[in-house]
Amino acid sequence: MIEHDVVIVGAGLAGMRAALEVCRDLDVALLTKVYPSRSHSGAAQGGIAASLANSEDDSWEEHMFDTVKGGDYLSDQDAVEEYVKSASRVIYELEHMGCVFSRTPDGRIAQRSFGGHSRPRACFSADRTGHAILHALHEQVMKNSRSIKVYSEWFMHSLIIEDGQCRGVVVSDVRTGAVEVIQAKAVVFATGGYGRAFQITTNAFASTADGVLAAFNSGIPLEDAEFVQFHPSGLYRQGILFSEAARGEGGYLLNGLGKRFMEKYAPERMELAPRDIVARAEQSEIDAGRGVNGEDFIHLDLRHLGEARIMERLPQIRQLGIDFISVDCVKEPLPIQPTAHYSMGGIPTDKFGAVVMDAEGTRVNGFFAAGECACVSVHGANRLGTNSLLDAVVFGERAGRSALEYAKSVASPSVNESREKTRVLSQFEEIFQREGSESYNDIRNEMKVVMTAKCGVFRDAESLAQCIEKIKALQVRYKKGKVTDKGRLFNTELYEIIELGNMLKMAEIISTAALARKESRGGHFRSDFPKRNDVDFLHHSLVYPSDGDGLELKTKPVVITRHQPAERTY
Amino acid sequence: MATFRIKRYNPEKQPEAYYEDFDLDIPSGATLLDCINLIKWTKDGSLSYRMSCRSAICGSCGMKANGHALLACQRQASSLLDKDGTVTIEPLGNMKPIKDLVVDFKPFWEKIDRIKPYLQPGEEPPPEKERTQSPEQFRLIDDTSTCIMCGNCYSDCNTLEVDGNFLGPAALAKAQRFVSDSRDQNTHERVRELSKPGGIWDCTHCAECVERCPKPARPFYRIKEIMTVALEEGVHNNNGARHALSFTRSVKASGRLNENQLPVESMGYFNIKGLLELVPVGLRMLLKGKIPPIIHKSIDDVKDVKRIFKDLKQ
Amino acid sequence: MKFALFTGCVAHGATRELMVSTKLAAETLGIDFVEMKSAACCGAGVVSEKSPLLADALNARTIALAEAQGLDLVTICSTCQGQLKKTECHINGDEEYKKKINHLLSDGGHQYDGHKSRIKHFSNILASPEGMQLLKEKVTRPLKGLKCAAFYGCYVLRPSELSEFDDPDNPTALEDIFTALGATPVYYPSRTKCCGFPIVMMNKKASLEMAGNALLDAVESGADCVVTGCPLCHLNLDSYQPEIDKLLKKKYAIPVLHLPQLVALALGHTPKELEMDKHIVSTAKVNHILASQ
Repeated sequence: MIEHDVVIVGAGLAGMRAALEVCRDLDVALLTKVYPSRSHSGAAQGGIAASLANSEDDSWEEHMFDTVKGGDYLSDQDAVEEYVKSASRVIYELEHMGCVFSRTPDGRIAQRSFGGHSRPRACFSADRTGHAILHALHEQVMKNSRSIKVYSEWFMHSLIIEDGQCRGVVVSDVRTGAVEVIQAKAVVFATGGYGRAFQITTNAFASTADGVLAAFNSGIPLEDAEFVQFHPSGLYRQGILFSEAARGEGGYLLNGLGKRFMEKYAPERMELAPRDIVARAEQSEIDAGRGVNGEDFIHLDLRHLGEARIMERLPQIRQLGIDFISVDCVKEPLPIQPTAHYSMGGIPTDKFGAVVMDAEGTRVNGFFAAGECACVSVHGANRLGTNSLLDAVVFGERAGRSALEYAKSVASPSVNESREKTRVLSQFEEIFQREGSESYNDIRNEMKVVMTAKCGVFRDAESLAQCIEKIKALQVRYKKGKVTDKGRLFNTELYEIIELGNMLKMAEIISTAALARKESRGGHFRSDFPKRNDVDFLHHSLVYPSDGDGLELKTKPVVITRHQPAERTY
Repeated sequence: MATFRIKRYNPEKQPEAYYEDFDLDIPSGATLLDCINLIKWTKDGSLSYRMSCRSAICGSCGMKANGHALLACQRQASSLLDKDGTVTIEPLGNMKPIKDLVVDFKPFWEKIDRIKPYLQPGEEPPPEKERTQSPEQFRLIDDTSTCIMCGNCYSDCNTLEVDGNFLGPAALAKAQRFVSDSRDQNTHERVRELSKPGGIWDCTHCAECVERCPKPARPFYRIKEIMTVALEEGVHNNNGARHALSFTRSVKASGRLNENQLPVESMGYFNIKGLLELVPVGLRMLLKGKIPPIIHKSIDDVKDVKRIFKDLKQ
Repeated sequence: MKFALFTGCVAHGATRELMVSTKLAAETLGIDFVEMKSAACCGAGVVSEKSPLLADALNARTIALAEAQGLDLVTICSTCQGQLKKTECHINGDEEYKKKINHLLSDGGHQYDGHKSRIKHFSNILASPEGMQLLKEKVTRPLKGLKCAAFYGCYVLRPSELSEFDDPDNPTALEDIFTALGATPVYYPSRTKCCGFPIVMMNKKASLEMAGNALLDAVESGADCVVTGCPLCHLNLDSYQPEIDKLLKKKYAIPVLHLPQLVALALGHTPKELEMDKHIVSTAKVNHILASQ
């Protein structure tokens, strides 16, 4: 058995920031199913929000209001307040660590405009901000390699919780297939999102709900799962991200008629309205037959920005267009469509990063979560661009500190190693012994198609019921799949099958929560209930596992401090 | 119909690698990664390789196509076919294969670790806000900071093929990230370390790393930048630095290279072992009448060349 | 055809046979090469280690000299070719930099334009349609049965964004010339690799091993000789071959020819005229194959 004081699962921004906190005093295992530098945080492009006021007056109060309004008043405002107040400090810390930022002429961190933010608040490193921060944190992790042991290409299978106390995780080494228990006094999950359940998504192949499902399978509810953000600018058919920074720098959205259609949907903020509003506007244009050539895409037009500005501020976007669709955005507009991007929901935590079980905030001893896999909730029903990197850094630090303090206060818990290992080994065995004829590829594709079509930008009771029915049928077929590789060595097929199982369950949770929320709010839009309904639905949802394979839905109140829900226009 | 000739290797089953052909209709617009995924998901689930973001930012899917490293997600599959409609896929080079297209990155990361890959800002406590850095200073580290650690440069590096001790292009590009960072206070110590055997002066200028780099990081250019800093910092006590200085002096004096002087000055006048090493090749060339003229002749108008040196304070 | 010839340093030094054979080949082909006697060394990518601006200034001066002569510039060395092209790419498209360079040059009475003279390697000229036509007319002794392994030299190929020579991964210029000369090109993976020369003073073992691997590859592909367009490659592949043999415990004994030597052979010149006896590795094998035609 492997023992550490604290084990952190996931080595993106939140996980590495947490590790840097824990390693001040204790020994920490940092586990990732890829390599730290391959984490999906690195794909974030546009920026990280903070009211530094480097180019225009700004304040945390304005940042807070923008965040709450952007989240359609579902954010917990006590958490938002602490979050935006920390923003400037954590960004200065990143800068001190060595993070590379684009600069103002006088040498300060440059800031630009972003959707839903009333001030230019996005600190950035060209159009690869997530990459810059990810590598800066990775550098610090390498610097602290004596106290941070990195387990690259290890997969986390399950969480060990006994008698209300978290005791470690069961993992396996992808390279050898060996199953191990890592015993720890505290566990931090920073496992990211689950956009891979959708056909059109910006997410990496690795974004497959392993962490949230491991928590769920231990009896922990998932909060606000119905709130999935669709990003307005995904590359047509592929979903690959073209940063909102393209609009922050002045890019236009044009429909098939060549018209800037946003004037109809958000006359004041135009292209820089929050993502939920822009994505719906795009989908409405497409559904009304006003896509380009009547097809399922519209245009992101950057030509008027000029080559020099594009090369300085958006070089990666230009290269992506050239590499993937042979379109040079200096000369031609880019074809885009809404793409599943971010999960506002996740493992419920308090504002200190501690995982909570219920509406009363009862903590799960020794279990913490941060980043996209967690739901604090600061983003409410819709996250503003550049607020996610901030979330990962702020709550990564907080979860790390909470885990550190907790681990220092308890003795090493006991773990029944052989029982825990046997559970995972028998899961492997069960998969290896499947003799069915179903294709996992078909199952995965059908899941993704139905999620985008029936649980996407627009949803209604009928589409969601169809979606749930389809997902359940796929879960049955999943048990009858065909396995080719029964070896132990770097068996990526085995892991893909496990991930697919996780996603099928997650898809059911998302669509079930979406069916229950009979209103429209932020990223969740019900065509049959197109209005927000604060009387009946100004609450978070919690989905619990219930006997067998069932789901149980509960609610949790929203914390409202400074800003009463008001009408949301842009 | 295209043929994907993939190098397979699974030591659990058999010790030798072999090539297996998969025929596939390439869907319109499909990247190489899309095709390999299709092969795995519809033809042979045991095919192993790494991939994640499929948008050229995570650096997972490096592999060789037709003998050269690339990111599978970044290239249209149809552009890689030869005239017979075949593309040959192999694992990255200079690293040990584990299974199929998966190689062992351990030495790669160990070398990144060796260059102290983190900012060393000195003892002073940081300012309350950000350290300032001008846009010009930012530009010095802009390209290098785009590196995604995909290992493509490492795979195709000509020096690494013969000398596993070489730090390699990725680690050296990462080193330049700090050597040229206005916030780092350890420049001299860094370039001193990087001038040792296995460092910058072992780069053979093949520029394969520039060809294979999927980003603007372009390690060879970064290595040259470190060399310039090392010379400016006065780190001259090694063959590489002596070679560059002797070469430049010779051009300054005569407008051309003095081939008799360069080897001797590169070794250093007091480096007996190094000087002795020059003897065999020198003798051979002498016997064949290939020794350059003993009286070194200047180019015409060498005055103008000297003037340029002077204007540039060189 | 008339060109300004940038000879480079080594053709006047350790590989004088390159100069001799270049002149003979050009003469017989009826190409007029005007030697640039006041051009400075290209820097070989080494002067730029000391100062990138200095290297660019010296090379811009060289290009300006050709421009003043109203001639395209021809090189007979992959390294020179690569350095001059690199300078051209650095300056063209960066007006500020161009101004800076021209300010430096102006005191010597030079003016760099950047678009008046094209920079070509001798092989570019020969592999062009006109060059191919010329070879077709002038080859008097087709090199039948001679299997030639091209060795390009890094600088002419890479970085391809700065060299604009040929497809960096699948170049064909040298092989096309071999075919036009009646010889048989041998394709082998190492033909685009590094000879190791740039680090022979710093890491001799690695340098010679690189050269040795390339030679082995050529030998195993059935080549009778290696032909290179770069005198620096020639130094490592030929002058150091006995030491390579010793290091790798092999006996390659494969002759290494300069491209102009091969061309001149097909034009009827003798190995003796081309000073092939000056090579460290005996070229008897080549002479023998040609004699047995």
